[in-house]
Amino acid sequence: MIFFRVIQWVVWKDLISEVRSRETISSMFFFALIVILVFSFSFSMDQQAARELISGIIWVAFAFTGIIGLGKSFSAELQNDCLEFLQMSPAPKGAVYLGKVAANVVFMVTVEVILFPMFVIFFNLDVVEELPLLLLIFLLGTLGLSTVGTLFSAMTVQIRAREVMLPILLLPLAVPVMIAAVEATRGALNGNPMALYRHWLELLAVFDVVFTVVSFWAFEFIMDS
Amino acid sequence: MTGFYLRWGGLLVVAAILAFLVARNYERNLANLTPEDLLADPPSRAVRVLGLVRGGTLTGDQASGRLRFDLSGTRETLTVQYDGPPMENLRELKTLVVVGRWDPSARTFRAHDIALVTNYGFVVGAYLVGLVPLALFLFTMERKVGLLHHEIKQSKLYEPEMMDA
Amino acid sequence: MIHAAIKQVQRYKGWFGTAGGMCIIAGVYLGLVGSPPDYYQGEVVRIMYVHVPLAHTSLLGYSVLFASSLWYLWKRDPIVDNMCHAAASLSAFFTAGALLTGSIWAKPTWNTWWTWDARLVSFAVLFLILTGYLMLRTFIDDPEREARFAAVLAIVGFVDLPIIHFSVEWWRTLHQPLSISMRGVSISKDLLVPLIIMGIGFSVLFFYMLMVRTQMLYLANLLNAKKGRLLSHAHLSKAEP
Repeated sequence: MIFFRVIQWVVWKDLISEVRSRETISSMFFFALIVILVFSFSFSMDQQAARELISGIIWVAFAFTGIIGLGKSFSAELQNDCLEFLQMSPAPKGAVYLGKVAANVVFMVTVEVILFPMFVIFFNLDVVEELPLLLLIFLLGTLGLSTVGTLFSAMTVQIRAREVMLPILLLPLAVPVMIAAVEATRGALNGNPMALYRHWLELLAVFDVVFTVVSFWAFEFIMDS
Repeated sequence: MTGFYLRWGGLLVVAAILAFLVARNYERNLANLTPEDLLADPPSRAVRVLGLVRGGTLTGDQASGRLRFDLSGTRETLTVQYDGPPMENLRELKTLVVVGRWDPSARTFRAHDIALVTNYGFVVGAYLVGLVPLALFLFTMERKVGLLHHEIKQSKLYEPEMMDA
Repeated sequence: MIHAAIKQVQRYKGWFGTAGGMCIIAGVYLGLVGSPPDYYQGEVVRIMYVHVPLAHTSLLGYSVLFASSLWYLWKRDPIVDNMCHAAASLSAFFTAGALLTGSIWAKPTWNTWWTWDARLVSFAVLFLILTGYLMLRTFIDDPEREARFAAVLAIVGFVDLPIIHFSVEWWRTLHQPLSISMRGVSISKDLLVPLIIMGIGFSVLFFYMLMVRTQMLYLANLLNAKKGRLLSHAHLSKAEP
């Protein structure tokens, strides 16, 4: 039971500190807006091209925004030696990991949910019927990025050049998530029958499960002091 | 350290021999002449000639493999009498290599085989790219090990630990 | 105990080196001179004798990295960590070689320097993972922490590689079914022999290079450690009045 209490505590701590300072979500949100703006300048898009590219642009924006959030999740712990306290505490490290993942997912999904309507508006998408499916895809993809991302964030926060190492380590390993999420989003946005892109969702689910387990196991090796 | 340099010197010699053998094989079996070269200096042995099958000149029976066509280079054109296995590569306007002998009396090239254009440059490039950095890498590593051994022995900090030559 | 075991193996590394070298020399000769060209691809198929062994060896190296990383996390022996580092450097090197030779093979075959073939892309991602690993090791100062973090990264990366490969392959078949793939070479008996010899040669040579590089890293650490001790000794003696 301690296990679940620790998870609850970690999630609550991160959420409360976020509610009080609002720095993570606001910085993520504005960064994502800038990314959307830059993309809309980079491609001169008519309707046809937009439909092809939009799912890729959405996920690139989500991935880079997510990296910011993941980085902040542990760099916030550096102040006041919180990281050392986490390392020394007798709480099961796996529980700390799951709590962190949950908090990161909450932040990232919040930003995505705020952001997606802006995508719909700026790029004139037509999505009303598939909203729950899209939400599921966002959730699975974000979870995929978070499982590995939280592990690497805990790792890179303790080393030099931490800002740059997190994307360098995370993005190659997150290639399956990106491919699957983009393809699934494209399928959903184009209104394709579910059977066509179902395997991408299954891939996302498998990735999430496998990497939650692996990172859960690996987390204690990172947090050994 | 001398053993090390001897080993790598030997390897260099072996590599040189290999390169020589490969080059000789290329000269003998793979190098292509152009129709101009052939007409300028007609060889007596079997050679390979590279050219373009001139459009409208391909006559004969595809199934039996007896075909006659003109093979053109940049300036000259050869008459080729092909007598060999039916080849789907043998079509008009295709650049290919004919393998055979020059018949000076009939002023025809008697070909018994068709081959694709050889891109040997790429092959050699790939082998060099694959093997030379490997050898360099290994060379620097072994040299470093030798130097470290030497330095550890020199500084008289040697303790009986895991250190064999 | 591990030290003694590794010392025993290191004794034979000369044999590995010689055997690997001879196999490669024989393979190069057979590949370039002793074997016939392919019916469809012509002489260019000879590049396969270099490209495929490089690719196999890089995956072999990655597996060795994975196994050593697990071993390190279990036993925490610094020489096993040296072996991890060595395996990663070598694997990165072979992956780069595989990518370059693959590119050189693609140009005459499909008239393009790069093709989004599933295996090439997987290898590109593998290369990025390995360079990330090597960068991580550079950026950490504490050797024990460096070893631990690197081991975790290697394990996570290894588990991910099959998933990456499958996702890229599904993505490729979705967007551009290639009529010929890299596997499209009709392997006849004549082509198989040099390939196998080169494959064996590269694998054996890999183990030799692994042993040499592990020893290099180990000795470098040893020298640094002893210099450090010597330095502190000098410090102490000077500090006395």
